Amino acid sequence: MNEAHTEEHQVDAMQVVMIGLGEEKFALDAGLVREIIDPVPVTRVAGARAFVPSVINVRGNVIPLADLRIRFGMPQLDDSADTRIVVIEIELDGEPVLVGVTADKVYEVTEISQTDVQQTPRVGMHWKPEFIRFIAKWREEFVIVPNMERILN
Amino acid sequence: MSAMDPTEVFRQEASELFEVLEGALLDLGQRPDDRELVDSAFRALHTIKGSGAMFGFDKVASFTHEFETAFDRVRKGEIKPTQELISVALAAKDYIRALIEDPQSTDDIIGEAILDDLKRFVFPDQPAAPVAEIAEAPPLAPSESKQTGWHLYLEFESHILRNGSNPLDLLEDLCKLGPCFVVPVTDGIPFLDEMEPEDCYLKWDVKLHAACDKDAIDDVFMFVQDEMKLTLSPLEQVEAPAPLPLFQLLDEEPTPVAEMAAQAVEVAAAPVAAQPPVKAEPKPEAKLESKSEPKPEAKRDDRGIATVRVQAERLDELMDRVGELVIAQARLTQLASSGSDLSIKMIAEEIERLASSLRDTTMGARMVPIGSLFGRFRRLVHDLSRDLSKPVEFVTTGEDTELDKTMIECLADPLVHLIRNAIDHGIEDTATRSANGKTEQGRIELAAVHSGAQVLVTVKDNGGGLNTARIRAKAEEQGLIASGAVLTDHEIHQFLFHPGFSTAQTISALSGRGVGMDVVKRTIETMRGTIDLSTRPGQGTTVTLRLPLTLAIIEGLLIRVGEGRYIIPLSAVEECVELTAEDERSRGRNFLNVRGNLVPFLRLREIMTASGAPDRHQKTIIISTGETRVGLVADQIIGNHQTVIKSLSKLHSDVTIFSGATILGDGTAALILDVAQLVAMAQSKVEKQHISEAA
Repeated sequence: MNEAHTEEHQVDAMQVVMIGLGEEKFALDAGLVREIIDPVPVTRVAGARAFVPSVINVRGNVIPLADLRIRFGMPQLDDSADTRIVVIEIELDGEPVLVGVTADKVYEVTEISQTDVQQTPRVGMHWKPEFIRFIAKWREEFVIVPNMERILN
Repeated sequence: MSAMDPTEVFRQEASELFEVLEGALLDLGQRPDDRELVDSAFRALHTIKGSGAMFGFDKVASFTHEFETAFDRVRKGEIKPTQELISVALAAKDYIRALIEDPQSTDDIIGEAILDDLKRFVFPDQPAAPVAEIAEAPPLAPSESKQTGWHLYLEFESHILRNGSNPLDLLEDLCKLGPCFVVPVTDGIPFLDEMEPEDCYLKWDVKLHAACDKDAIDDVFMFVQDEMKLTLSPLEQVEAPAPLPLFQLLDEEPTPVAEMAAQAVEVAAAPVAAQPPVKAEPKPEAKLESKSEPKPEAKRDDRGIATVRVQAERLDELMDRVGELVIAQARLTQLASSGSDLSIKMIAEEIERLASSLRDTTMGARMVPIGSLFGRFRRLVHDLSRDLSKPVEFVTTGEDTELDKTMIECLADPLVHLIRNAIDHGIEDTATRSANGKTEQGRIELAAVHSGAQVLVTVKDNGGGLNTARIRAKAEEQGLIASGAVLTDHEIHQFLFHPGFSTAQTISALSGRGVGMDVVKRTIETMRGTIDLSTRPGQGTTVTLRLPLTLAIIEGLLIRVGEGRYIIPLSAVEECVELTAEDERSRGRNFLNVRGNLVPFLRLREIMTASGAPDRHQKTIIISTGETRVGLVADQIIGNHQTVIKSLSKLHSDVTIFSGATILGDGTAALILDVAQLVAMAQSKVEKQHISEAA
């Protein structure tokens, strides 16, 4: 899976799950996504790092719930009817770990192609470049393909 | 199960037999006259040989055969099992194990050398080389010249037919060795109405007129040797008319009954009683060359019925399912109690009862007596005490204390470290011991005992005790403490658990490399256990490991702090008291007066940064680890909770005050407090207070 990631710049098309965080749109690699669930009660973990403030119960497993908005310095919105939790599986220290990611809205599963991929612009970005794999264009909008492994490490 | 690789089955079985063998040999070192031990070692050897041959481990079979032959003299009481002999026997055992587990790594030369050694001890009066064949014979030798065949007496277990073995086929095989004269013995046949149609009640008395070797006969019965008694004696030309003693020698009651009488006649040549079974063998000890002793045979039989071999993974899976069931049951109970439907409540109660007994049974199935682990260390102690020339008596108690099997596996390495330390550092050399007026032989005690929901495992030596001054000096040298700092002995001893800390002045091959105690501590802590050291100068050191009974499910106390709910392992809870207004007022001091004792307390609301107003009557839960007691202040105590432990992910590995999480009845996750961490936190707080008060 890791190999696939590094080579994805070369592949023509990439399946992504398009999610909305605040005003921005992010494209999560569909290969990472395990399931999308409605919001569930969260349990706050005192003393945890700010971007993984809580844990949730997903089918009998207790998994961390990450908040990308905190990582990107975006304001947190209250849960709305559109809020979902996207459960992704990433590798941390060589071990697969399930992580829930809060999304203000989940749009659709779609494909972005290599020709849509843009270089990360140097200016006008208020988040750390190492969290971003690349920026693609989708329906005349710029979407961010985040580097989940780095964000969660 | 049938899909399992038979070779793997053999390996598993063999490794259990090796444990039996090793245990018996080591015991024999201490109690050389114990026949029972000799027999059990011999039986283990014999089974290894038999099944080794069956599964194609020819080398194993032939080596074990030689080993067995030599050991037979011990069994017959002709030689005493000396320490040297036992060391060689242990080496031989290791060699067989290597032959089975990793045949490539062994060399025949090693095997031969071991056998030579063995023979030297067993036949001190003979040259080492050509012994093996003769070894078989000694008791039989006198009659060998006249021997023209064998006299066999066959008695099968009554259930043999159900296993698919057919005694008649075996008899036919026997007939192929030479002319046989077979007489069925019918005295075990019960009345018709008591007869079990599937049982075998017949016994056979066979005269085999062929000068074949004993092994050929053994081969015929190889597959059923554990389910039968075979009495074998050489047949001589002169037949002494003494039929009955042979039967009387079999001290068991004749096993009941037979439906095979009719068939047996085909093989049987003559009516029973008239034929005087042949008397052989002048030497009495050779009369009964039974394959295995009747008493252990019976024991073995019970076990066969009472136990089933299950793969460990299946048990783990079962435990997972039970864990999920317990969670689902908790949710059902909660749902039922919030409604008013009486019949649902009854069902919920029923299921609660069933789930908790299912949980207990499943956990019980995973429990293994710790004795299986202790057995391994006896070899370790034996070898170490020989290598270091420190005679050590090794005493184990509480072998039948049961622990979760995964814990037993995790415990092996830490205990090896502790025992090595005890022998290498703890026990002084013989000269020092006698100079200090102690017995020359050191003593190491390994004990396990239940204590509430915990198991205490202690390693105790009667050596010189910890050298507190030297540990202190070393800690200062490594810059762990400032010189002149005031520390209790107990605090100083904690440095032993510091990574890279070793006080051994010379590094031996065994210990003193500074790895060990910290690893031991870490391993024990991952099992949610604790480790404690206590020492008395000149009298020895005791290391105590406190371990939870199981890793998967604990009894917890569910509490509420602000909006959050948390679990405290019930095993750590001593009592719950209300926080009085007086305690409340002593805000700065954070001490609780529990029946005259000052107990430091922590406000969980502060630690958890709880929002909202605190409840008016705050509750304090007194928890303890070892000697230390700490109070935890919470808003509400909700009650007992069956806690299925789920670990926290790597993303939360930096959070130390929680040891895991669980799922509550309503489906939300709750965090489990790490008692040891909270206690440490309270203690450091107290120390800071002392410092600030002192300043």
